[in-house]
Amino acid sequence: MIHIALQKKLIAANGEMLLDIDISIEQGKVVTLYGDSGAGKTSILRMIAGLLQADKGSITIDKHIWLDTDQRICLKPQQRKIGFVFQEYALFPNMTVKENLLFALEKGQDKHIVEELIDIVELGNLQHRKPEYLSGGQKQRVALARAMVRKPKILMLDEPLSALDSKMRAKLQDYILRIHKQYNLTTLLISHEIGEVIKMSDTVYVIDHGRISKQGNPIDVFTTKHISGKFQFSGEIVQIIKEDVIYIVTILIGTNFVKIIAQESEIETMTIGDNVIVASKAFNPLLQKIN
Amino acid sequence: MDWEPLVLTFKLAVVTTIVLFFISIPIAYWLAYTTSRIKPVLETLVSMPLVLPPTVLGFYLLVAFSPANTIGSWLNHHLGLQLIFSFEGLVVASVLYSLPFMVHPIQAGFSNLPPTIAEASYVLGKSKITTLFKVLLPNIKPSLLTGVVLAFAHTIGEFGVVLMIGGNIPGKTKVASIAIYDEVEALNYSTANWYSFILFISTFSILLLVYLINGGHLKRFWK
Amino acid sequence: MNSIKGEIVTIQTNGSLSLVTIDSNGIFFSAIIIETPNTASYLKIGNQIKMIFKETEVIIDKNPKPTISIQNRVLGKILTITKGELLSKLTIDTMVGQLTAIITSDALYKLQLEVGNTVTTMIKTTEIMLSE
Repeated sequence: MIHIALQKKLIAANGEMLLDIDISIEQGKVVTLYGDSGAGKTSILRMIAGLLQADKGSITIDKHIWLDTDQRICLKPQQRKIGFVFQEYALFPNMTVKENLLFALEKGQDKHIVEELIDIVELGNLQHRKPEYLSGGQKQRVALARAMVRKPKILMLDEPLSALDSKMRAKLQDYILRIHKQYNLTTLLISHEIGEVIKMSDTVYVIDHGRISKQGNPIDVFTTKHISGKFQFSGEIVQIIKEDVIYIVTILIGTNFVKIIAQESEIETMTIGDNVIVASKAFNPLLQKIN
Repeated sequence: MDWEPLVLTFKLAVVTTIVLFFISIPIAYWLAYTTSRIKPVLETLVSMPLVLPPTVLGFYLLVAFSPANTIGSWLNHHLGLQLIFSFEGLVVASVLYSLPFMVHPIQAGFSNLPPTIAEASYVLGKSKITTLFKVLLPNIKPSLLTGVVLAFAHTIGEFGVVLMIGGNIPGKTKVASIAIYDEVEALNYSTANWYSFILFISTFSILLLVYLINGGHLKRFWK
Repeated sequence: MNSIKGEIVTIQTNGSLSLVTIDSNGIFFSAIIIETPNTASYLKIGNQIKMIFKETEVIIDKNPKPTISIQNRVLGKILTITKGELLSKLTIDTMVGQLTAIITSDALYKLQLEVGNTVTTMIKTTEIMLSE
């Protein structure tokens, strides 16, 4: 169980803002912080990592106290043992992919983990390259693998996928989820893509001006109503075509495209790029075994 | 032509550069990362030699290091160091005089690195010292090289400070720039020309090399 | 998407399936869903609920009392017809509100449907989703 209570006065674009949050996270879950830029999401992650000082608050990880301003306890980032993936990757330019990972090893730690992680993120043939010769997605995979070398209990990702195109993003989401499961992590990530939040996380905290405005299961938080359809996915509209008296809407769900029939009154409220829920009754889809 | 002044010049430049390299890294590191209020004061002090006439610096050092004075007599007594009219004195003066030329490029190098690089190292459990040597310094090699070369070249070109604190003792403190002045005074234009020509060519070559390396023009040769 | 408001009057549960009866303006509809009152908080007798279903799943007949297995049926008057090459769209004014149906243009000609006709509008129990 992880408990985080933080208070800090932040200087935001439009004056001072008081960040005041209280979050409890169950071990093994994926939790997302969602909100507009400037809402304080990155500051929260940086305070958990120890890179930013809280004015007041406490951080307890499985009974280990990382921060308690009342008791004047504040562990340095080096002592917190977390995996942190920065938005801009923060790879060490002077080291190759493999050296970036080797650098992260603790004294006396088995080097085997480095090869294992390079395998997981499928960077074997690029391991001797310097970061400047990698694409955005590849850099992000290195950053992810590097964050995992010390086998942290908590993995934190600051908008890890915002700079990537949607195909790459879907692939990296899968890498993150795979690593999350394989290493039994508690993962905390920042995202401002509803589709991503729904796909990735068990719980979402919506941060608004330094405060939690909503929290819960992502589908509950982002859809104001429940629909009984059991065949539900969230995706992004990529194309709308009028055909006859109806419209055919193409939606990207994960890496798959699906086409849905819609009609004019529905299309009026939607545009390309919108996140939507695709729902159908469980009675309609057919199952066919693939041989 | 006497080679001694030239040898002395290069010896002084090498020693000064080495000393500067080791004291400038901590100063530049501190200046680049501190949030302390006295930072502007220290920054100003480091930059002073850029604007101050070298004779002013030389004059104060001469006064301070004079055996008749507290600092000078203390150094003489306890460390057996006599800093005026000696090679050691020249080194101390040159270090102070060339300080900004070493500190500024290194400080700029640190400041231009994305802050997340150091942070990434900290969250990987690495200490500040490890981070400095394994991550920060290797990534500012061009800045280090620029600092070394500027300090070296600037020390070669020094005149006023050296003359004030070192005097003009052949083999001890008579460096090339002073020798040129001497020869001109004595109307030995051809000797003065030789000294000048050698200084010109050597500093030109050094600077050219830096620009070639930092511009990546020589990369293919050292892969 | 068609949407009809109503009130839950009965809930019959078996395993994880529930058959829900909804009263909308005196007309009863039934919907079968994979939810139970335990898994869905909105499944409560007396709750206001929306039934939603796709226009393409709506069945039309000119006979006011068709003899087929579909229980959910309401009479209405055709308000508009938009003819297309393969598909046509009808809007129908009924006791439970305005409904839209998309049927093949072939069917439109065979039934000789015209604006003002009274038709029976039907939807299968398995096609209705419930929503808060």
